[in-house]
Amino acid sequence: MKLFTIAASKMRSLVIGAACLAISGSVSFGEEDTVKVGVLHSLSGTMAISETSLRDVLLFTFDEINEAGGVLGKKIEPVVVDGASDWPLFAEKAEQLLVQDKTAVTFGCWTSVSRKSVLPVYEKYKGLLFYPVQYEGEEMSPNIFYTAEAVNQQAIPAVDYLLEEGYKKFYLIGTDYVYPQTTNLVLFEYLKSKGVPVESIGGGLREDAEGNVISAGNYTPFGHSDFQQIVAEIKAFSASGDACVINTINGDANVPFFKEFAASGLTSEDCPVVSFSLSEDEFRSLPAKDLIGHLGCWTYFMSIDTPANKKFIDGFQEWLSKTEVTGVVKDDRVTCSPMVLSYNGVYLWKAAVEKAESFDPEKVMAALKSGISFDGPGGTVTSQENHHLTKTVYIGETLETGQFSIIKSFDDVVGEPFLKGTFMPK
Amino acid sequence: MKRFFPIDSKSEGLTLGLILFFVLLMPLLNGLVPDGSAFHVSSFQLSVWGKYLCYAILAMSLNMLWGYTGLLCLGHCLFFALGGYAFGMYLMLMIGELGAYKSTLPDFMVFLGYNELPLHWKPFYSPVVAVLAVFLVPGIVAFVFGLLAFRSRIKGVYFSILTQALTYAAALLFFRNDFTFGGNNGFTDFKYIFGADIRSEGTARGLFLASGFMLLAVYWLIAWMLQTKFGKVQKAIRDSENRVRFSGYSTTHFKVFIFVLSAMIAGMAGALYVPQSGIINPGEMWPTKGLDIVVWVAVGGRGTKIGPIIGAVLVNLLKSWSTKAYPDTWLIILGCLFVFVVLFMPNGIVGLWAQGKDLWQRRKGAGITEPEEAAA
Amino acid sequence: MKTYTTLCPVFILVFASLFFVIPDARGDEKNARSLLVDIVNGDSVGQEAALEALADESDPVINAFYSAFRSGNIFLMSTADGQTQVLIKEVNDYSDLLTGEAVNPTGELSVARASRGLRRDLKRLVDLLDLNSPNRSKKIAAAEKLGLSQNADYLPELRKRLPQQTEKSVIKAFQEGIYITELKVGSLEEKMRAVKGLGKMKSLPAKGFLEALIEESAADEEANRKLMVEAKNALMMINSHQAIVEKVGTLFRGLSLGSVLLLVSYGLAITFGQMGVINMAHGEFIAIGGYTVYIIQNFFANQFGVGSTGYEWYFIISLPFAFLIAALAGAALERGLVQFLYSRPLESLLATWGVSMILQQIFRLQFGAANVSVSSPEWLSGSFSAGGVSMSYSRMFLIFFALFVVVLTYLLLNRTKWGLHVRATTLNRQMASNLGVPSARVNMLTFAFGSGLAGLAGAFISQIGNVGPSMGQTYIVDSFMVVVVGGVANLFGSAISSLGIGMIDQSLQPVLGPVMGKISVLFAIILFLQFRPGGLFPSRSRSLDD
Repeated sequence: MKLFTIAASKMRSLVIGAACLAISGSVSFGEEDTVKVGVLHSLSGTMAISETSLRDVLLFTFDEINEAGGVLGKKIEPVVVDGASDWPLFAEKAEQLLVQDKTAVTFGCWTSVSRKSVLPVYEKYKGLLFYPVQYEGEEMSPNIFYTAEAVNQQAIPAVDYLLEEGYKKFYLIGTDYVYPQTTNLVLFEYLKSKGVPVESIGGGLREDAEGNVISAGNYTPFGHSDFQQIVAEIKAFSASGDACVINTINGDANVPFFKEFAASGLTSEDCPVVSFSLSEDEFRSLPAKDLIGHLGCWTYFMSIDTPANKKFIDGFQEWLSKTEVTGVVKDDRVTCSPMVLSYNGVYLWKAAVEKAESFDPEKVMAALKSGISFDGPGGTVTSQENHHLTKTVYIGETLETGQFSIIKSFDDVVGEPFLKGTFMPK
Repeated sequence: MKRFFPIDSKSEGLTLGLILFFVLLMPLLNGLVPDGSAFHVSSFQLSVWGKYLCYAILAMSLNMLWGYTGLLCLGHCLFFALGGYAFGMYLMLMIGELGAYKSTLPDFMVFLGYNELPLHWKPFYSPVVAVLAVFLVPGIVAFVFGLLAFRSRIKGVYFSILTQALTYAAALLFFRNDFTFGGNNGFTDFKYIFGADIRSEGTARGLFLASGFMLLAVYWLIAWMLQTKFGKVQKAIRDSENRVRFSGYSTTHFKVFIFVLSAMIAGMAGALYVPQSGIINPGEMWPTKGLDIVVWVAVGGRGTKIGPIIGAVLVNLLKSWSTKAYPDTWLIILGCLFVFVVLFMPNGIVGLWAQGKDLWQRRKGAGITEPEEAAA
Repeated sequence: MKTYTTLCPVFILVFASLFFVIPDARGDEKNARSLLVDIVNGDSVGQEAALEALADESDPVINAFYSAFRSGNIFLMSTADGQTQVLIKEVNDYSDLLTGEAVNPTGELSVARASRGLRRDLKRLVDLLDLNSPNRSKKIAAAEKLGLSQNADYLPELRKRLPQQTEKSVIKAFQEGIYITELKVGSLEEKMRAVKGLGKMKSLPAKGFLEALIEESAADEEANRKLMVEAKNALMMINSHQAIVEKVGTLFRGLSLGSVLLLVSYGLAITFGQMGVINMAHGEFIAIGGYTVYIIQNFFANQFGVGSTGYEWYFIISLPFAFLIAALAGAALERGLVQFLYSRPLESLLATWGVSMILQQIFRLQFGAANVSVSSPEWLSGSFSAGGVSMSYSRMFLIFFALFVVVLTYLLLNRTKWGLHVRATTLNRQMASNLGVPSARVNMLTFAFGSGLAGLAGAFISQIGNVGPSMGQTYIVDSFMVVVVGGVANLFGSAISSLGIGMIDQSLQPVLGPVMGKISVLFAIILFLQFRPGGLFPSRSRSLDD
């Protein structure tokens, strides 16, 4: 027993000593002709499903820029870290990127909670983060630039389109977190302002003591796998025709939902589902042949037929075939809106750096706020004073190939993060 | 003297001294050594190590339950998170009108359309209440659950799985947006703690020191308890609960007491953790987090005083390093480590030396033992 | 094949109806085909005319055309003489839409796509034509759908066909459709009759229309008071009927959720319940099953082409593979790791947790982080509707299969020598070994069997849910709950508890919503175990388990 403790204690001192050394030696400096850029996405855990694609496209973009001469004559040196779908770890990794690696800018985050988790870090160190995924708005940090779609660049145009098509009943369904809750609440106000009666908005309402609606729609937990009840409800709701479903279910819970939906015999001609969190990338895991004609609304679709998009897709595919980065899936890859918004983000940052002639986040942000345009794969995007982008919104319907065919587009929609309470009922 | 200074050996004292030295040194290197020097410790590193210390406290609290009493709780993350939430509520209220909406209500409440602070939030303006709640909330949950479970003599694997279900259910509950605890986003963007700016280096040093001293205090508490009669009953329950019961002890009461104490320590660790990590959300209660803690204890060495500390720090160091160095394969590395530890290091890292010694002795004595075995 | 046919005649029926189109003598095929070509080539005016003209035709080619059109299988090909030829692709073969002759496409093909509006119109048309379908359920669905559109144009069509119908359920559907349409377009007298009729037949789809009617009448001074009273009466009858239908629906849904739980937890009931191994990697065996189906599906798709008869078999073929591959993985895990840990059950938890992490990341590296797509074969898609309750075929198959697994396991454990050995080893490993039971082999086989069942569960989940690296994580906590609630060493208990949990979950959902429903179930389980720590069927023993 005695021997045992002595041994253990020796181990302990060794470990602690080693740890101290590790700390003191870990500060490093980048080479002069490169600029370090952080990539902060989940490569493991539940969000890896979506986020790994963004890592891939970012690395591709850096290579593309480096081949063309880099930024201000410096080559981009990516620092990739794994947030592991663990939110405190996101904050820790963000701080690591800023403090230890001294990255000039970070591209990253997917979920709202990861963004909320790193926000104080970027504000503390006056860093710069580009956030690429559609989100609920209601935020404008001085240190974050949102290339993401705001609610009025996705949900509102989609609903406009549905109203135009003559749909009269709307069933709201989502995963129980901030983005669906906010979007549905905004949509609820918006639909009411368009004269849609409350009875025609399905999914349920919750009111506070004074009768104000504080939550609209039906919500499921993350990773929900049993949608029988909800689909039965939708079937009854849509029985009288002219009904559609507005879907803000997150990530992989869409698969059981759509499988149940298709199995119940409902088709897009009976009751189309318009989804806001389902891009080409997520669509790969769905049986596309059962889901023809459902709708999506994004600021980019892979099927956009422009030279810029073709160049982007070809470049990405070529990069995929050559890359030696571990963990990159090379076959059957598609491009989607969050990927393009990441791509746009890098180019906007590059343009802003060149305009500001400095990598200093504050100067770069000032340049961005002054309005910088980039002809991206999804059309021209322009940065705005309010840290969001003006861009083209597309509505597409799904094809049997898992692609979307574009059926309508809205040009130059200004990103507006604060929407709640702005729609007055008629 | 020994009663109040429960150290078994010189080497243990030495280790404790080293830990104390480390706890004092880090803030000094942060505050006194200028930025740019090789010995400077940035406040980032300070807060990372502060978090490791919190994990270490958490691991110690689980070890108290599992290592010394034989109760494997897979839901210890729940108590950690409850403590964190309790303190987080205070921190949220301290943001005041500095949030995005310039409202006295926390941002997420404005967001969800609340006009008024819910009743159960109001007492948390007071730091005293918050600190009390850090201990009481996990304590009460543990008391109710423990009383029910131990009274009906749920033990072993059943207890483990039930605690897992408990934390799973609680996580789902906290994920709900209308549960008034911020749903999936949880609490973030804290500004002030006890009147000090939470982002300042001084606060980081203070929190680190607090975590370090708490670690030593918990260590002392556990060591002291172990040498009392209570500690002996505790170990006896682990080794043979029935015999203890037949000897006239009410093992239920002992177990409930240990469970509550352990939950309170875990809650305290959570409260120290939240201001340093800057976020608390229901993900902290997810069943996999509970398993993580068990792994720290197992890797370090369960049933040893120092093992959990080593396990928690080492595994997290490894995780921090490998998520950056091997973003694609770090899960495989960690997984292999767990399998290896279970198969070849039943006593964890702390037990390695004894294991090696044992092996060596056996090999040396092989010449004598072999014929004996053959004879048998 | 034999067992399969005896097991589920329903599926064969559906299967058959989709592949052997029974010709209908009434339509003029040539005319229909030329009209369809007009729809593909025409402008909106021409399309409208063609659509109208098509309504008088009823050729099966229209149906085939519609499904091909919406799934991008209608192609335009420029022929050598500058003409455009319209081709229709079925599985892998092309044929000329105009003549119906098989064509080997030589020129460049471009996909012809239907606009949304055209597709909706075509769907209406197909529904209308389905009124003549020889398939009873199609006919019923068509009549209901047309009625729901409340379009006066369809009224004569429905009325014309009503007297020709012989089957009771079909007559009811036609009548219902007529009534619902009359609610909107009929005269006062017709409306009165419709309201009464709908009330009598307790028509669920009519509910919304009746409500609207009452609301309208309430606002209108001139409205007929009597009609309103009748409508309220009818609504009351429908509501009480709906309550029953919902209960039956909940029952079915509970049963199907219970079957899912049963399948995912039965393997665990063996590895954990019988052998005492806390197998945290159980979920990953489920994922192995799912990925096996995915691989075999892709193989079949490459070999036979999606939608071909051969492809339809992929799911049945993949079941034994899912079982075997998961069982092999299980055997490997048992030999490589678990066998050293029988005396340390809590540590088996840690080791298998490590294995679970490793496997998840391997899936991710091998198949990509994203979920993979598995689509159901035709005979498993779609649903069966009876009296307002709809049950999907995949779920029905699942329920039968769960039953099959329970029976099979029972027989294996209670009627075979291996089963005897398993039970002996479960009771006392040492003693069994002393009495000559090859306990090492028995352990390996038992663990492999349990893992194989997990693989089977994964195969089924691929039909209703996700196949991805972390698919197993969704089910692991639930699986442990089921086994513990059932009583650990009791397989039958697991079956009962999974059905019970499924039922309770589904009946709570409409009241509390999916999230609170699930939370309540979990808390209920925790409380239940406080009062019955051994579960539903505790194993009785006199020994003290220290």
